[in-house]
Amino acid sequence: MTVFAVIIINKAGGLIYNRTFHEGGLNKISTNDYLVLAGTFHGVHAITTRLSPVKNVPDRNSASSAGILTRPEPPSGLEVLESENFRMQCFNTLTGTKFLLFTDTTQANVDVTIRRVYEMYSDYVMKNPFYQLEMPVRCEMFDRKLLSYIREINNR
Amino acid sequence: MVVYSIYIFDRHTECIYSKSWLPPSPHHHPSTVPPSVPSITTTTGDALPPVNGGTTTGTGPTDRRTSTRTQKQKAGDDAKLIFGTVFSLRNMVRKLGGEDDAFISYRTAQYKLHYYETVSNLRFVMLTDTATMSMRNVLHQIYINLWVEYVVKNPLSPVEHKGGEGVKNELFELGLDQFVRGLM
Repeated sequence: MTVFAVIIINKAGGLIYNRTFHEGGLNKISTNDYLVLAGTFHGVHAITTRLSPVKNVPDRNSASSAGILTRPEPPSGLEVLESENFRMQCFNTLTGTKFLLFTDTTQANVDVTIRRVYEMYSDYVMKNPFYQLEMPVRCEMFDRKLLSYIREINNR
Repeated sequence: MVVYSIYIFDRHTECIYSKSWLPPSPHHHPSTVPPSVPSITTTTGDALPPVNGGTTTGTGPTDRRTSTRTQKQKAGDDAKLIFGTVFSLRNMVRKLGGEDDAFISYRTAQYKLHYYETVSNLRFVMLTDTATMSMRNVLHQIYINLWVEYVVKNPLSPVEHKGGEGVKNELFELGLDQFVRGLM
């Protein structure tokens, strides 16, 4: 049970936060590579929403009775990526901010963890009056709380 | 489990084989479609994203011809998008997990994509429903039992499969169809 890293990507595909928690889990790559990775992932995420082979056919029977076309659930993009050495969970908020959590392949309950990270982001980043939107996250409080939370998971 | 489609890409990044097991969308609800809807959607069909299955319920022969052509184009575009996706993700995985790491699969709320790459950079991609477990060994089986047997060992098949040449032989297609239907 190990969380390797957390990455936050803003709605334009820019990297606004990245932090590794476990040495040896992922390769060390430069900040520039992280920026490239964030941008690439943003694009790939958009493509994966378009690739859905099951088309949402609006239910015509209910639509004709109700008089309006019911809007189908929008297709979601990549949620979980698996490789031999790690697992990546992506949480896309309604506003388009993406939270990526890199864990080992056996990590359970990543959904809960990633939502907790989102909660912390809204509490300690969004409520910080000095934080500028879409800009890199530099909030000491967020750093501290996130570190203690992830450390707790990694030591479990 | 449901298998939606399979794509095979060669080392020149070209899609040399693709097959879909999805029912063709035009014949979904031919009777329940209100008469006014197709006339609206067929005129703007090309501009709209393909969300409604009734788009191509054309009545005339011209409608049907254009719909099959656009569908073929769409399949080609899909193959290119899929290749771009798996290529980017594979590179991303290699960068983060090391050179020996391999991208296995990703899942969205609608579907799951499985990936298998041979040493010779032949790439197998399979799209299934989200509940399916890892299909990496299945793709490996397809490579060993079908690709090697019926495509590689076929003396009439060319070395490079430009435009799918040599892949679309009866034994391979039949074997693949049977194998996948056996999984479902």
